Amino acid sequence: MLEPINVTWDSLNLITLAPMLIAIAGGLIILTIDLLKEGLHKSLYVMLTVLVLFIDLGSVVGLNINERGFFDVMLIDGISIVSQFLIIVGSIVFIPLALSSKRFHEYSYPEFFALFLFMVAGFQFMVASDNLILIFVGIETASLALYTLIALHNRSNSYEAAVKYFTMGALAAGFFAMGSAMIYALTGSIEIYKVAEVLATRVNETGLMIAIFGGFVLIMVALAFKLSLYPFHTWAPDVYEGASAALVGYMSVVPKVAALVVSMRIFGMYIDLGIEWVRWTILVIAVLTMTLANVMALVQEDVKRMLAYSSISHAGFIMAALALDTTEGNTSIFLYYALFMFTNLGAFSMLWISRHKMRRFNNRYDHPYEKFAGFIKIMPIGAVIMGLFMLSLAGVPPFSVFWGKIYVMQAAVNAGYIWLAVVMGLNSAIAAYYYLKLIVYMFLKDPVKDVDTIYYNISRPLMVIIGFATVATIGAIFYVQPLIERIYYLISASGY
Amino acid sequence: MDYILSILVFFPAIAGLLGFVIDKDSARVYGITVAAIEFFLSLWLWFSFDGSNAGMQFVELIAVIPDFGVNYYLGVDGISLFIILMTTMMTLIGIMSLSVKENVKNMIVTLLFLEMTMVGVFVSLDAIIFYLFWELSLVPMLYIVGAWGGPLRVYAAIKFFLYTFAGSLIMLVGMLFMAYTYHSLTGVWSFALTDWYALVLPVSYQMWLFAAFFIGFAIKVPMFPFHTWLPYAHGQAPTIGSVILAAVLLKMGTYGFVRFSLPLFPDASVFWITPIAVLSIIMVIYTAMVAYAQKDMKQVIAYSSVSHMGIVMLGIFAMNAEGIGGSVFQMLSHGIVSGALFMLVGVIYDRRHTKMMDEFGGIASIMPKYAVVFGIMLMASVGLPLTIGFVGEFLVLIGFYQVSPIMTILAGTSIIIGSVYMLSLFKKSFFGPVTKEENKNLKDLDAKETWSLVPLVAIVIWLGIYPKPILDPIDNSVKAMLNFMDEKAITQEAKDMIHVANSTKEAK
Repeated sequence: MLEPINVTWDSLNLITLAPMLIAIAGGLIILTIDLLKEGLHKSLYVMLTVLVLFIDLGSVVGLNINERGFFDVMLIDGISIVSQFLIIVGSIVFIPLALSSKRFHEYSYPEFFALFLFMVAGFQFMVASDNLILIFVGIETASLALYTLIALHNRSNSYEAAVKYFTMGALAAGFFAMGSAMIYALTGSIEIYKVAEVLATRVNETGLMIAIFGGFVLIMVALAFKLSLYPFHTWAPDVYEGASAALVGYMSVVPKVAALVVSMRIFGMYIDLGIEWVRWTILVIAVLTMTLANVMALVQEDVKRMLAYSSISHAGFIMAALALDTTEGNTSIFLYYALFMFTNLGAFSMLWISRHKMRRFNNRYDHPYEKFAGFIKIMPIGAVIMGLFMLSLAGVPPFSVFWGKIYVMQAAVNAGYIWLAVVMGLNSAIAAYYYLKLIVYMFLKDPVKDVDTIYYNISRPLMVIIGFATVATIGAIFYVQPLIERIYYLISASGY
Repeated sequence: MDYILSILVFFPAIAGLLGFVIDKDSARVYGITVAAIEFFLSLWLWFSFDGSNAGMQFVELIAVIPDFGVNYYLGVDGISLFIILMTTMMTLIGIMSLSVKENVKNMIVTLLFLEMTMVGVFVSLDAIIFYLFWELSLVPMLYIVGAWGGPLRVYAAIKFFLYTFAGSLIMLVGMLFMAYTYHSLTGVWSFALTDWYALVLPVSYQMWLFAAFFIGFAIKVPMFPFHTWLPYAHGQAPTIGSVILAAVLLKMGTYGFVRFSLPLFPDASVFWITPIAVLSIIMVIYTAMVAYAQKDMKQVIAYSSVSHMGIVMLGIFAMNAEGIGGSVFQMLSHGIVSGALFMLVGVIYDRRHTKMMDEFGGIASIMPKYAVVFGIMLMASVGLPLTIGFVGEFLVLIGFYQVSPIMTILAGTSIIIGSVYMLSLFKKSFFGPVTKEENKNLKDLDAKETWSLVPLVAIVIWLGIYPKPILDPIDNSVKAMLNFMDEKAITQEAKDMIHVANSTKEAK
């Protein structure tokens, strides 16, 4: 006779689930509004989305550290709070890019905004659990929504991008599922902390290492797809090229934060168990990713593709910090993305406002370098701002990404990986070349065509966003300290 | 005035920001005014500076990122004081003599930003703040070379940027490792230079750290064989770019050696004396020979610049008060003299749009004032006694003679080769019959040019005859630094080297 299961409300601790529920409810509200009254302006939906996200943010701030809930599958530790924070803030700053002056197809659908909120909920599930099944559900919720968001963009190559992303994503999902199954077969559990306990007792069995290896490789492949790490990065530039600039900016930050948290939980476990080859595999992949993506970025003709490769390189950079498995290393990941987010927001917004409906400069690309030739003469302030973003991405002090970079490099030095810090330094030097290339086009060349404006798609809200990104990029030196303090506290409180 | 250093750093930057809205035609006046105020501020700094105090003065310390040990930490001593003075003076004179016609306003604003970064480098006592200004200085220079330069300007600008950027990233890793070492020994994060000075590092650490800093500084100096970016940058830069580059930016490298490498890593510095001296001598002789082979006047001066920086490097690694003090003095004199020479080439380039020596001949009879000024600067560059160039070079050679007489003699040949290429330049362009028809109607120096060059001539002669007011404060700070290196050195070799150098000085 089976015992009846007793579930009390208190034991569920539903508050841990509240942030995701808020996002999902927001998506449903938007769909309902659309059902009741059609043809409402996109600005309504944008603002509703932002409002929902603000409530979401409030609910994350109110969470207590180190709690579990909902049959213990939800895990609210410092990492989950700080990463949810980044995810939501990232979403809040990127979604208003929809308020451009030109009408683009995808933003006229209310479904876009509903899907966007579902996607945010998916990312939140990914980071707020150490249960492999729930992580899987989170990955799929977020990815399926994201495929659709890309495909809504009304360009032929956006379908190509969506299909490519979908195929790769499906493959990655398969790998993740198989890897989880392997871990389950080994340990009889799918909860990472229990897996760690079981593995810790058996880590010295010789035959076991092969099985651990299998599980690790499968999950590594899956996450490498998500993080666009070498050699699973090939989809990224094409998908980035096909998607709209606003979405690409988002994709180069938020999904990566979510996937990094998952990596941190799973690979961190392996490294904590003393399995050194896991660390070295990640380090090798990270170094290859940052170097090769940098080299590829050098030869791009399109600024958006260049930024796509550069964001792959940044992901490799940060993946190396993950392999350190120290509190500083893990702190640096979030600090880096917190700082990188604003600069990236700015850079992609600049591309987004320079977007036009027809391709005027090149048959294939929307943003070839020639388009920005002589930008300083056409629009001086725009050129200076874009130049600042490029310098920040290149890691020139005192702009925001520099502080992230030195914190990562310092974490590497602290952990005894001085060679890694040197590799990072050399990579930054390579990267400087392609950021500089855009600066050279903007400041030192003459306009190629008789162009009177590059701001085809500007609107007042976009100006506000760019202004905000500029201030955040320049003023980083003033808020780095509280950021480090807070993130470090949250990471160390969750024992990483 | 407790905050005079902050004012010195940020005044030009704020003025630069305001300069964006100034009317195009008044930009030049605005630039001169701002640069003059900045120069007077730096003079004020000198007057309120206590020359007998060898330590850091006007110190400002504000924690910026305490968890990471980054502080806004400024201060000056005798070594940096005069470099700052030279920086503000050369900026002022550069703006006064500005001959750029297009986008004057952008140029002025860029120069003011550049001035902020340059002063910032020389007053920073925190490694990260130092690095911040160091890297930021690349940006305006990139723009100056790239936007106003010659036909290959973009290539030259990118080469300049990437070379120095790559080198300084290695230096950054060194700084991070230094902070880490400080942290592991004391439990506190700090990038403050004075904190770092207090550390006695094991020799093996010093070697690596020295190497990391060396790459960053050597590219900037530029030491042979990292000097290849410099002839391009000079060749393509507009006059003002060359002036600032030669007068100030190169000094950042040698200043870095004095400020960071020597006091932080005394044993490694002593260990590397011979290799660095060899490189410096190659730099002195080889680039002097290359200078002789040039047909372009500006390239002659560019290469002679590298050659003179070799002398500066040699002096720094003499490890005694004469050598280092002489080097710091030589930095100033080289800044003034090479800056003036680049301005002089600029003068003739503005008139003829060529700087090839073949195009000229017999100019002395057409432009007598010009020829006189050129002649004086040239003598100073060669190191003729009673000019500013002599003092530094002489002290450096005396200083290094205590280390190695043979190498000193080799380095001393620079005076001979220097006179050869400089005098041949002078002879080819200024004497003999007037060869070209176009040269017959060249105008002599106009008022603007005279006003910017005459003060330099005055300084060159004044400090050549009476360098004491500047040498004394430099000497004080240098001796303090050497004493402190003496106490800190671990290896017997380094102890002997630095101690002997110090004690002989006292015996005198």
